[in-house]
Amino acid sequence: MADPKKPMTYLTSQLWKDNQILVAILGICSALGVTNRLSVSITMGIAVAFVAAFSAFFVSLLRKVTPDSVRMITQLAIVSVFVIIIDQLLQAYFYSISKVLSVFVGLIITNCLVMGRMEGMAKNVTPFPAFLDGLGAGLGYAWVLFIVGGIREFFGFGQLFGFQVVPLSFYATAENPNGYENLSLMVSPPAAFFIIGVMIWIYNNINKKA
Amino acid sequence: MPEEPNKTTPSNLSVITFIVILSFTCAIILSVLASVLAKPKEMAKELDRNKEMMIAAKMLSHNGYFLIENENGDYIPAKYEKDGFLVPGSIEDIPSRDQLLKVYEKRLIPFLENSKGNLTTFEAAKIDKNEYISEHKKTGYYKQPLKLLYKIMPNTEKSEVDKKPIGYVIPVNGFGLWDAIYGYIAIKPDGNTVIGISWYEQKETPGLGAGISEAYWQDLFPGKLIFQETPSGKTDFKTAPIGITVVKGKVSDVLGTSPKSKSAVDGMAGATLTGNGVNEAYKSVLEAYRPFFIKIHDQYSKV
Repeated sequence: MADPKKPMTYLTSQLWKDNQILVAILGICSALGVTNRLSVSITMGIAVAFVAAFSAFFVSLLRKVTPDSVRMITQLAIVSVFVIIIDQLLQAYFYSISKVLSVFVGLIITNCLVMGRMEGMAKNVTPFPAFLDGLGAGLGYAWVLFIVGGIREFFGFGQLFGFQVVPLSFYATAENPNGYENLSLMVSPPAAFFIIGVMIWIYNNINKKA
Repeated sequence: MPEEPNKTTPSNLSVITFIVILSFTCAIILSVLASVLAKPKEMAKELDRNKEMMIAAKMLSHNGYFLIENENGDYIPAKYEKDGFLVPGSIEDIPSRDQLLKVYEKRLIPFLENSKGNLTTFEAAKIDKNEYISEHKKTGYYKQPLKLLYKIMPNTEKSEVDKKPIGYVIPVNGFGLWDAIYGYIAIKPDGNTVIGISWYEQKETPGLGAGISEAYWQDLFPGKLIFQETPSGKTDFKTAPIGITVVKGKVSDVLGTSPKSKSAVDGMAGATLTGNGVNEAYKSVLEAYRPFFIKIHDQYSKV
């Protein structure tokens, strides 16, 4: 757990020790859905970090005046505002990325990771640690997505960030049928399921030794 | 810093007041945001539509650079010279927004088709172009008495009005699995061969049906025939089934080399319903333009 005396530990503990995907297994649905390209994974990671950080800040700011009986609705309303802000900004200035992310931006509202941080942390602490905690949770989610996206784009398309990495001359053609082929499984969502599973396994092995 | 939760239960009135204030604040923030971003959003959308139309017409690649056809009929990267004229370039020549719009305006000219195959301009029909385009987008232009289509003009240095078009772009719409889908299909002047397709608005399942807006799948279409051939290799334009069929699985496995395979493309795994929606869209939209295709095909075969 984070040490209340050192605010930065709210952020750092979320990156590794309490990672939302690897430890809490939260936010999996979008991690499966949007990680077949690196550029999309990064955008999604940043979007979630932005939403989690600012929502946590405002949830925490309102924590003393929020009646207990409507606290979930209050959190949802705050989260939704930030999700809509990011969705509108993407539509206005990064239209091509917003087209690829499509429903997943809207679904950040129901991303268990965000609600988990609001309910589990932000409503109990002061705004600054809450902000760091939300930011850390989002960034922890982002780096896992980055790795999954990298693996999937490399094996699924032979590219990274849309640039060809595997030389085109390696590929199987009619004359050279034994050449390299893209792994089409990597393009489809189940691939992320396997990759995240393996990542959790590696993560648990590392932490066992420590 | 964990704190003791507030133990006293607040009165109903204060709870309601709190929620009302919260809702109003959120509403104000969002409406201000929506009105500030309305213009850039509309511009981004329109630019995207124009880009997708150019992608369907093979004037623009999926990676953002211009394309022109060389003597062998292959598409090569091109760059913007001036006044909407394109010269051979490299894949690093990504055009600016203004260059895109300039080429779009110069080479894609909207016309109205009167269900008998004759074309009129918006001015001659006394119809406001922008109003027509935004008003009939949802129902589909193919259901109107005057149907929208775009002539693709050749890449020339001068803007000659009576140059022969090198193809036609037809707006397509239909229903996918989740929501309406909107796209374009570009047809060669023979009224039969597909130049390319694109979908500019869809809400299909990401990773599955959303593949309809991805390059690898759209690249299956060029060269396909919208009129299905008979086994003898002839096409009766008046009665032949029209459309492009998205099959379940691979065309080579399902249809082999039968005449049907020339009007079919591979389906996407896990997206059968999206494929069905696409089939239906092509069938109903292209059917409405059949008289037009017959007419341009007759003109084409006479020359």
